[in-house]
Amino acid sequence: MSKTSQAIAEREVALVDLVDRLLGGGVVIAGEITLAVADVDLVHVSLRALVSSVEKARPQEP
Amino acid sequence: MIELLAITDDPVAPPPPLRLVPAGPVAVVVGPAPEGEVDAEALWDRESLLEDLMDERALLPIRYGTRVEDDAAAAAAVVPRGAELAAALERVRGAVEVSVRAIAPEGEEAGDVGAVHARLSGLAREHARHDGPEPLRAAYLVDRAGVDVFVAAVRELQQEHRGLSILCTGPWPPYSFAEPR
Repeated sequence: MSKTSQAIAEREVALVDLVDRLLGGGVVIAGEITLAVADVDLVHVSLRALVSSVEKARPQEP
Repeated sequence: MIELLAITDDPVAPPPPLRLVPAGPVAVVVGPAPEGEVDAEALWDRESLLEDLMDERALLPIRYGTRVEDDAAAAAAVVPRGAELAAALERVRGAVEVSVRAIAPEGEEAGDVGAVHARLSGLAREHARHDGPEPLRAAYLVDRAGVDVFVAAVRELQQEHRGLSILCTGPWPPYSFAEPR
């Protein structure tokens, strides 16, 4: 992977982890919870991008 | 409406526009509720706020998107759980969360993720393993002073388990250790 695509992949990994934590972690306190559906889509999109970038990064077997 | 960001027991006021609302033995960090569409940039901005706060004080992040009408409502929602949250703050004090995923490319053996998890758990105060599409999706509560050793162990494990891609991010606020388990 080039340095740039490496940086993009790292940010995608971190975004998956961030969204995971924001939506599934933290103290649950009574109140109104506002969640955009787009956030959930973000997780799936990022994870797909991540998995494909990992596969691309693997050296080809001879 | 105000957004609830974190629970702390540090009396020092956070930087504006954030404020501290006392709630029994603890306090709630609150801020103006953001309006409009949420995008990745907004999520990162919120994360930076929490990370800056975390550098100065022990805190428990509150579930993203939690809003109440005003300060009185914030205190009323938190006070009944005050003792429990104060205990949770003690559990995370001086520690940060590190995320680790192990991904196995399609069609390959998942490898020995159990060994990876066991080694990393041994370096952590607490750990939480979550279900996910990957063979290993876990969070580790690591002493601040132990983060470098933890990351070095992740690198070694990656060398030992070539069939896996081990993805490590952090340090995060203790999202996965905020609720009693």
